Amino acid sequence: MNILFLIQTFWAAVRAIPVTVLITSASVLIGLPLGFLLAWIKIRKIRILYPLAVVYTSLMRATPMVLLILLFYSTLPSFLNVIMNQKLHWHIKVFDTNPVIYAIIVFSLIAIANLSEVFRSAILTIDPGQKEAALMVGLSPIQAYYRIIIPQALVSAIPNIGNLTLNILKGTSLAFMMTVQEVTAVAKTAASYTYNYTEAYIDIFIIYFILGTLLQIIFRYLERYLSRHKLRVKAV
Amino acid sequence: MPPFSFKFFLSVFGQVLPYLPVTLLIIILSIIFSSLLGVIIARGQLGSSKVWRTVSQGYVFVLRSTPPIVLLFLVFYGLPKLLLLSLNININDWQKSIFVIIALSLLFASNLAEVFKSAYLSVNTGQREAALMVGLSEWQAFYRITLPQAIVVALPNFANTVAALIKDAALAYVIGLLDMMGAGDNLISRNFGHHSLETYLALAIIYWILFVIIEQSAKYLEKYLGKGHTIASKSAEVVA
Amino acid sequence: MLKVRNFKKKYHQHEVLKGIDIEVNQGDVVALLGPSGSGKTTFLRGLAFLTPGDSGVITFDDQKINIESATPSDIKKLRRKMGFVFQNFNLFANKTAIQNVEEGLIIGHKVSKPEAKRRATEALKKVGLQQYANHYPSQLSGGQAQRVGIARAAALNPEIILLDEPTSALDPELVADVLQVIKHLADEGKTMIVVTHEMAFARDVADKVVFMDKGLVVEQNEPTSFFDDPKSPRLKEFLSRISAVNVADNSFEYEKAVQK
Ligand SMILES: Nc1ncnc2c1ncn2[C@@H]1O[C@H](COP(=O)(O)OP(=O)(O)OP(=O)(O)O)[C@@H](O)[C@H]1O
Ligand SMILES: [Mg+2]
Repeated sequence: MNILFLIQTFWAAVRAIPVTVLITSASVLIGLPLGFLLAWIKIRKIRILYPLAVVYTSLMRATPMVLLILLFYSTLPSFLNVIMNQKLHWHIKVFDTNPVIYAIIVFSLIAIANLSEVFRSAILTIDPGQKEAALMVGLSPIQAYYRIIIPQALVSAIPNIGNLTLNILKGTSLAFMMTVQEVTAVAKTAASYTYNYTEAYIDIFIIYFILGTLLQIIFRYLERYLSRHKLRVKAV
Repeated sequence: MPPFSFKFFLSVFGQVLPYLPVTLLIIILSIIFSSLLGVIIARGQLGSSKVWRTVSQGYVFVLRSTPPIVLLFLVFYGLPKLLLLSLNININDWQKSIFVIIALSLLFASNLAEVFKSAYLSVNTGQREAALMVGLSEWQAFYRITLPQAIVVALPNFANTVAALIKDAALAYVIGLLDMMGAGDNLISRNFGHHSLETYLALAIIYWILFVIIEQSAKYLEKYLGKGHTIASKSAEVVA
Repeated sequence: MLKVRNFKKKYHQHEVLKGIDIEVNQGDVVALLGPSGSGKTTFLRGLAFLTPGDSGVITFDDQKINIESATPSDIKKLRRKMGFVFQNFNLFANKTAIQNVEEGLIIGHKVSKPEAKRRATEALKKVGLQQYANHYPSQLSGGQAQRVGIARAAALNPEIILLDEPTSALDPELVADVLQVIKHLADEGKTMIVVTHEMAFARDVADKVVFMDKGLVVEQNEPTSFFDDPKSPRLKEFLSRISAVNVADNSFEYEKAVQK
């Protein structure tokens, strides 16, 4: 075991944490509103869009992440090139685009599908009596949704949003396949000169453990904060 | 971008499906071993021994944040080193599939332990007590009354976990295992990187079919087993 | 004020309401009685179009609605005249007690925020809960939650309040406070339809008692004759069955409420 290499590579990999965090948080932040929209389409069974939404969700949830990454990374740049340059003549250098952008696109597509299922089941668990009571005090169906049902659904969805975020975080360990310089890629590259792979993976393992634990703490706190109306506080 | 060749797309199925048995074997063995280990960990978490409880809870907690590919490489590179240094056992010639099965079993034992634990806890304790009071032994109460109910509760989450395992098993090719993904990868190299879209799309469809089979059989089993099992309260959904 | 003609409702093949006729005058408290499954909830929810009926005519003041051809704006206009108190409260779980009352005032009825706050505070005060204004529903007992539910309905000053077994989800010792609040509303001249199993309450507060069975109105009368001189065999049987258990229990709770 090469302890010196272990420590040096650890600090090198730590400097790549911002990339990992950026990809994870950007994907989830993009996924939240779009996932909600997709959930809405599935709940309201909106014409034409509904079957598309169901097939999209199923495909994205069934396909291994590594395969999705390979699939999109091998086709997305050429595809964007055709659209933007050959069809729209924007003259954007698609092939020079920072691969982080592609990583965010791929992980967002995954997040959207999974979050739509999270939101769908969260909304369906809210007691229909909440909507009825809202209608009876004069709210419109849309007002009932965004003032009463959605705030409650969001709270009950938080643990599952946390799980999804953790899965995306772990998934970013595959972003090196898109030549993104994140934690795994940096440590792997260091190891490839000296064949200290075990040490490199121990470093990555530790970093993901720290990031994952922090993430769980944040979500635990968020859940507690948002569900304060569920906590039993002693009556005055 | 070369135009999409439908003919090539169809030919991919013929070239990767012969490796489906490798993929399936890895999946099935990993499910078996991770279930066994998962039961042990769940028992540890629920048991009265403080040491075992801490160890098993710690195991689940650490593995929850571990990316599959990291564990796979750690097992692949680290385990031979560890055994060679500590016990002087040389496992460097082991087949790659064994490393994959070890990594997946370690990883999913932690997920399955959670599934088993929450299923066990969801069965009303009154069920066990009632069984004891009508003269069943502790063990009989468990396997005649508690277990059948817990299985029904665990089924949807177990199916979710199996689906996640199937997806993570697709990573095996990165250590050079020749399964479906490996065969697809070879196919692309042989074509100098062309036709990757057709290849990946065909693979995605195969995985999709596997997923749907798991999903539908779980639904069927749930319906079939679910009759007369209503006392167990519903457990929280585990997002795979 | 409110007149319902030939109200019908089917679930699948099962005809739950076979043509209900009811009339409610301004200021009346109508108690709706009947065995379990007779369709009381279905009727009340049908009036509010929460689960719309299949056919019939609802006349409310100058608004006449044919159930089959009711438009969303008809329904909205009708609901504006109604308040609804649910058996299981249905307080908005993400809002405090006072926010529950303000919600309908500010969003539903476009009342200014300070004015809404004033009216909500007053409504909570009337049900004896002003010190619980900032509690979330999970921090209230069932009886307190139902009183907030009543305040929420009454604060909008609807022409009629529909109450579906407002006390049946409550522990016996909490029933009294809620009945007391309803009686206050009655004394103020509020028009109400109350589905209830509290016989003593019905006898004391109602202006008219309506007995439903198997989807039909079987008998209706002012309370004294209704209870002391039932005409139809089915009502006689119903009263004799409940008098043994219910009246004894509930009148005790109710008497406690009145004595306060
Ligand atoms: N959503 C539904 N689907 C099918 N049948 C229903 C539904 N809701 C009510 N019913 C049936 O309609 C009938 C009347 O129900 P309703 O709830 O109106 O009775 P109720 O008089 O309010 O009884 P209770 O005193 O128990 O509250 C019952 O036979 C019930 O089974
Ligand atoms: Mg009812």
